[in-house]
Amino acid sequence: MQHTPIPGAAADLDFASRPGVPMEHSPQPLPGARVPILPQRSDVLVFKHVGRARFPPVFGTAQPPRGLSGLLRKQAYRFPDHLARHWLTLMFADRVDVWEHRLRGGLSWGLPVLGVLSLSAWGLRKLTTR
Amino acid sequence: MRALTYQGPFRVRVEDKPDPIIEHPQDVILRVTRSAICGSDLHLLHGMVPDTRVGHTFGHEFTGEVVELGSEVTQLRKGDRVVVPFNISCGGCFYCQRGLTALCENSNPESDIACGVYGYSHTTGGYDGAQAEYVRVPFADVGPMKIPDGMDDEEALFLGDILPTGYMGAEMGEIKGGESVVVFGAGPVGLFAMRSAWLMGARRVVAVDCVKYRLDFAERYAKVETLDFREVDDVVLFLKDLFDGRGPDVCIDAVGMEASGSRAQRMLGLGLKLQAGAPTVLTWCIEAVRKGGNVSIVGVYGPPWNLMPIGTAMNKGLTLRMNQCNVRRYMPHLMGHIRDGLIDTKGIITHRFPLEQATEAYHLFANKQDGCVKCVLTPQ
Ligand SMILES: NC(=O)c1ccc[n+]([C@@H]2O[C@H](COP(=O)([O-])OP(=O)(O)OC[C@H]3O[C@@H](n4cnc5c(N)ncnc54)[C@H](O)[C@@H]3O)[C@@H](O)[C@H]2O)c1
Ligand SMILES: [Zn+2]
Ligand SMILES: [Zn+2]
Repeated sequence: MQHTPIPGAAADLDFASRPGVPMEHSPQPLPGARVPILPQRSDVLVFKHVGRARFPPVFGTAQPPRGLSGLLRKQAYRFPDHLARHWLTLMFADRVDVWEHRLRGGLSWGLPVLGVLSLSAWGLRKLTTR
Repeated sequence: MRALTYQGPFRVRVEDKPDPIIEHPQDVILRVTRSAICGSDLHLLHGMVPDTRVGHTFGHEFTGEVVELGSEVTQLRKGDRVVVPFNISCGGCFYCQRGLTALCENSNPESDIACGVYGYSHTTGGYDGAQAEYVRVPFADVGPMKIPDGMDDEEALFLGDILPTGYMGAEMGEIKGGESVVVFGAGPVGLFAMRSAWLMGARRVVAVDCVKYRLDFAERYAKVETLDFREVDDVVLFLKDLFDGRGPDVCIDAVGMEASGSRAQRMLGLGLKLQAGAPTVLTWCIEAVRKGGNVSIVGVYGPPWNLMPIGTAMNKGLTLRMNQCNVRRYMPHLMGHIRDGLIDTKGIITHRFPLEQATEAYHLFANKQDGCVKCVLTPQ
């Protein structure tokens, strides 16, 4: 069955009207671009995979690496990103990260609970052995 | 501020975290006014993207109001309303200078396969995203586009991602006029690819999906023919038959790595993780398209590898084109189309939630419930 197309059908038939044609346009800085780009300064540990020649001037600083997952990630970034072991190590680190957070979350209420339980056990023993 | 955070596969929650700050003289801080949930966020949610760290805030399709300016920003003022491309692009590097802003080499230390992206793991630079009250926006004179007076934020919102992506999907199909086009995936990206295929002069457009309400939506919104692949024995043979026994001229993959339709691919890719997700749709595109035809891939795939029939593509003489969308170069043109009434962007929003209810919004969108096509979050 043939449907009626939308308003403006074939409005961009002409390739010249399509913003992404040709795929690469002749090189020119985009409006607003500023060179040179001052390097971002940060105390946060950010990894660069070894396949990259230089550290880019701008980067994100969210969720710095921590704990065992952090160590695994550090190891992963020693491999360039065309090697599968780079990605597989990262995927493994992601799972470890989740377990580390669960454990830490668990400890934050688990420790006080454990404390109260052992105190009452101690108290009970004192009472019964008297 | 309040922000959505990743807690591990299938778990996100809204919690307090520090407000973003200016970290570079070309940064601005936005107060987020609208933030959409994208199909790409589901890949993050499902733990498919390497180096997604617990605590990460998602969100790469957003509008906001400028509240703080870095010392080198000259084009924006406090109070400006802007829509922001999901790619973080410098505008001056080798790639940006050629229009390939999705490949910018100045915003992502962690990988060479993509540039920085808001809220999309550390594989794309480790930037927190905009499903939050505030967000840091680097290279603020290059990416953000002011929303004209008289246009509301929601009308402009999808200029930051899915509208240019769908458009580029059709564009990479190299439609010259009169072609038959099959779009796999009737999600938000697929819908805009369908509309764009018409804009470029397609003769016939067919949407393929397996979610009934989305196919109905596509039929209404994009005026396409529809096919539920679950209702046919062999979708490739069916499509070949539908188009003179040869297959369509152009196939567009607007599904990506979490496709349904092949138990084997899903087991290998999503279950055992022996490949990066399920390239079922990519395989269907290559098998169904006519010899010498075009396959355009905008559905997201990840590293390191996938099982796909490259030999078939080679022998059939196909053109395969693909990329993350180079959003910035499409924005002015598509803004024009919105203003001229050629594309009704708000028409695909089916759900709006306050940020606090983001978890529910994810649940609805991921599980295709309640007729959900597109969810938009409104931070308070
Ligand atoms: N290239 C880019 O720049 C870019 C930008 C945005 C989104 N994306 C990607 O585009 C894809 C779609 O995004 P969306 O927001 O529309 O997501 P979505 O999840 O809402 O839509 C995907 C649709 O595909 C359907 N589907 C699943 N298996 C299918 C199959 N075998 N055949 C046909 N349809 C099938 C689903 O039912 C769903 O309706 C995602 O992979 C997303 O990551 C890419
Ligand atoms: Zn997206
Ligand atoms: Zn650049």
